[in-house]
Amino acid sequence: MSDMWINMGPQHPMTHGLWNLRVRIDGELILDVDPEVGYLHRGIEKISEDRHYNEVITLMDRCCYVAGLAWEHLYILSAEQALHITPPERSDYLRTMCDEFQRLASHIMWYAAFVQDLGLMSPFLYGMRDRDLVLDLLQDYTGARMTYEYMRVGGVRNDVPPGFTDRARKVLDWLGDRLHEYDQLCLGSAIFRKRCDGLGVLKANDCVAHGVTGPMLRAAGVKRDLRKDRPYAAYDRVEFDVALADGADVTARYLVRMEEMRQSIRILRQVLDWLDHHPGPAVAERLPRWLGAPYAPIGNEGYLLKRSYPKGVGFSSVEEPHGEAQAYVVNEGGEHPYRVKFRSPVFANVSAARQYLIGYHVADIPPIMGSVDICVGEVDR
Amino acid sequence: MTTTTLYSVSYDLSRALLGAVGSVLPPGARDALTSSNAVTALAVLVFCVILLAASMLNTIVLIWWERKLLGRFMDRRGAMHVGYAGLLQNFADGLKLFRKTTVSPREADGLGFYFGPTAYMVSSLVIFGILPISSGWNAGALPLSLLLALTIFSFAPLFIFVSAWSSNNKYSLMGGLRSAAQMIAYEVPLLLAVVAVVIVSGSFDLTTIVYDQRNYWFWGPLFLALVVFVAAMLAEMERIPFDLPEAEAELVEGWNTEYGGMLFAFFMLADYLRALVGSILVVLLFLGGWTLPSWVPAGLTSFPLAGIVWFMVKTYAVFGLFVWIRASLPRVRTDQLLRVGWNRMIPLALLSVFLAAALVTVRCVPVLGCVPSVGA
Repeated sequence: MSDMWINMGPQHPMTHGLWNLRVRIDGELILDVDPEVGYLHRGIEKISEDRHYNEVITLMDRCCYVAGLAWEHLYILSAEQALHITPPERSDYLRTMCDEFQRLASHIMWYAAFVQDLGLMSPFLYGMRDRDLVLDLLQDYTGARMTYEYMRVGGVRNDVPPGFTDRARKVLDWLGDRLHEYDQLCLGSAIFRKRCDGLGVLKANDCVAHGVTGPMLRAAGVKRDLRKDRPYAAYDRVEFDVALADGADVTARYLVRMEEMRQSIRILRQVLDWLDHHPGPAVAERLPRWLGAPYAPIGNEGYLLKRSYPKGVGFSSVEEPHGEAQAYVVNEGGEHPYRVKFRSPVFANVSAARQYLIGYHVADIPPIMGSVDICVGEVDR
Repeated sequence: MTTTTLYSVSYDLSRALLGAVGSVLPPGARDALTSSNAVTALAVLVFCVILLAASMLNTIVLIWWERKLLGRFMDRRGAMHVGYAGLLQNFADGLKLFRKTTVSPREADGLGFYFGPTAYMVSSLVIFGILPISSGWNAGALPLSLLLALTIFSFAPLFIFVSAWSSNNKYSLMGGLRSAAQMIAYEVPLLLAVVAVVIVSGSFDLTTIVYDQRNYWFWGPLFLALVVFVAAMLAEMERIPFDLPEAEAELVEGWNTEYGGMLFAFFMLADYLRALVGSILVVLLFLGGWTLPSWVPAGLTSFPLAGIVWFMVKTYAVFGLFVWIRASLPRVRTDQLLRVGWNRMIPLALLSVFLAAALVTVRCVPVLGCVPSVGA
């Protein structure tokens, strides 16, 4: 068999979404790859220009279907900056909680999909089972399991319901034990180590050159985490460590994500304690009426007409589960943002596919691409 | 002959049937119908139908057993809705596949596309005529039944490769190549592990091998051979961790990507038929076959189906082990699989052959037990 091109996608079990990985192979050896994205492009950035500031949040949920809250947070931060609004402290903590729950849900989803690519069916179902508990918690205070529409310019839609923090702590206890079980099933398995060690290596230099961020970057030993380096929300007020590994391979990415989940649980415990002891408003006191109504609670006096509202631009960057996401919002006055631009971390991570796929085997593609953790919604936007 | 065999049951049945039909016919036709040739011919047919039905039924129950066990390993309940505890789910699935149109790709090679799955299925079914499930269950006392069963068992790569190649699909072709490479690599340790059993038992006849285990099952003295045999059998059955030919993560569905409807059902059934054959061979070669253990009360041993029941319990337990392995191990890679096959499995299998030869010389090993003398 001489070399040939095969299309892994757009419908293929490896893709976990709608994209196409063209692979040139010689037998089982990968000679060349060519990732093709764009099948899921919905023009979210353009649609945003035609939406009310708070209506863009709906689109953010559709941006990444496993980390909707992180993308809401990203947009909200730059929108608030553009609109000169400061959220109350309690909403900072609530948003931090959202981010970390979302990180847990996203990483567990990643774990489930990743091990299934390796042929491990049981941990896939364990992962889905445990992720459901996190989704239950999210549903508890946002009302939705996937498209939350929870954050608002100037705060969050509502506070957590009574008794929520205790329920959340129970789930965190359970998850802490499960993470140990996950490790036993993967790291404890010689076949898993044989499959993943030294696979899909992307060294720190190449990561930086290709703009690769998130767990892939930290797995290469680069200590960069926006939650530490450029803190937002309440991340400067909670204690946690940056997960690091130095293998730069699939196992290292696994280790980084597992450690991040442990750190997420640690952050969440601190946030839940803070929420218990610091009651207060979850939405900014003074919101312009045109921005507040009809979403924000009653009682916000409009202090400016929208015509005379000051212009501004907002830039934010957030450590979402897949990497560093960035948003740029331009406010030229009016109810709609003038321009919205997002930077998707997964887009950069996938673009570097040539670096970490060539030279490996066809059977290595699912674990390597699995370790990248692709969310096509945010790649294509 | 006092023992009831499957063939004697079929013979009596066909004689009674033909006698009943013949009694209403004129004398000339009656004589022709009840002649021993006619009765024998029908008896063979009845025998085959019973065998076919039994193996098909067992295969379908085996799929149910796997689904339920997998469900439990995965913290869920498996099929629950059709029939009691989902027992009829597979029949429903089979009916659905039966009703579906068989679609073949335009560029596919018609002959190979249809021949492959059919031959794969038929060759897997034929083995059941050879395997003794209990004394008197198989078609005849073949002195080389073990050899014949393994020979037919090893036809599979050819049929898989034919169907993969004729599908005219890159994924199918890669799956077929992987399948051929894997099955050929693991055929060797499989046969070597069997050689260990043959050395100890001194016979290629499965019935003799089972009777040699009346006092001591072979799994103790031949533990290494058992391990090699089970691992090689896993590769031959293409189950996780060795299911690379149909690794759905990268190859969609491997060599049966282009198959749907009844042809897919053929592959599915044949896969499980082979899984059943594998489990049965483990029980026959290493776990004492149908010979009842001494703690079974005397009242039960005279029960005609006691041997079969005991045999099937062991077979399903062995298959349960395969399911357990599937539930807890990831898939290996082709090059790793082949390296393990040639570099580890074959030396281990050779070692087990030497151990078997040593056992035959020593006869008895403390703790592990005794082996029967050659030719006894």
